[in-house]
Amino acid sequence: MLESSRLVKNEQLKQDTLNEIVELSLLFDFYGALLKEQKRQIFEDYVLNDLSLSEIASDRGISRQAVHDTVKRCRKELEEYEEKLSLIKKFQSVKQDVHEIQSIAASIKEHDEIDKIQRIVQLSNRILDEL
Amino acid sequence: MAVKIRLKRMGQKKAPFYRIVVSDSRSPRDGKFIEEIGTYDPNQEPSAFNVNEEAAKKWLSNGAQPTEVVGKLFKNAGITK
Repeated sequence: MLESSRLVKNEQLKQDTLNEIVELSLLFDFYGALLKEQKRQIFEDYVLNDLSLSEIASDRGISRQAVHDTVKRCRKELEEYEEKLSLIKKFQSVKQDVHEIQSIAASIKEHDEIDKIQRIVQLSNRILDEL
Repeated sequence: MAVKIRLKRMGQKKAPFYRIVVSDSRSPRDGKFIEEIGTYDPNQEPSAFNVNEEAAKKWLSNGAQPTEVVGKLFKNAGITK
């Protein structure tokens, strides 16, 4: 019993690291341009190029601790932008709705299900609201 | 010469997509890599992970070091334990 719950936890942990990298990538895509050049490069190396802290440190002739602090500060800065602007949240919700519209449209085309058009109207209204 | 297996971010803005590449740890920034051995696409549901298992095992047995994230991908795929 204990063994299996530990297994699940490990599984969760693994997923989290992967999600984190993707999440940080997205934050960087949306708000990376707002970081100062020096910080931006370090964060980019860490998140996009998957370099380790010590690799970045020796690359730039600074301490590993300095790299660590910079990455942490950048992350906080980017998260604050998202908190205030919610661009990623909106982007993801709109993206999901558009995907649903596309799949409904495809099924209408295939099966002639005119009644599903109502859902498309609903979704597109929601998208317009969010813009 | 230390060789590393790491993720390399590709794809458009807002649609991250990764290659799994083998590269020399001393020239990490210039974008050169020795070999591409797989891809990771988190845009799909569930995330799609493809790797040339043979090449991965070969590099690992030759002492190539996977980064933390790549190590996790390998573990998920059952390449390493």
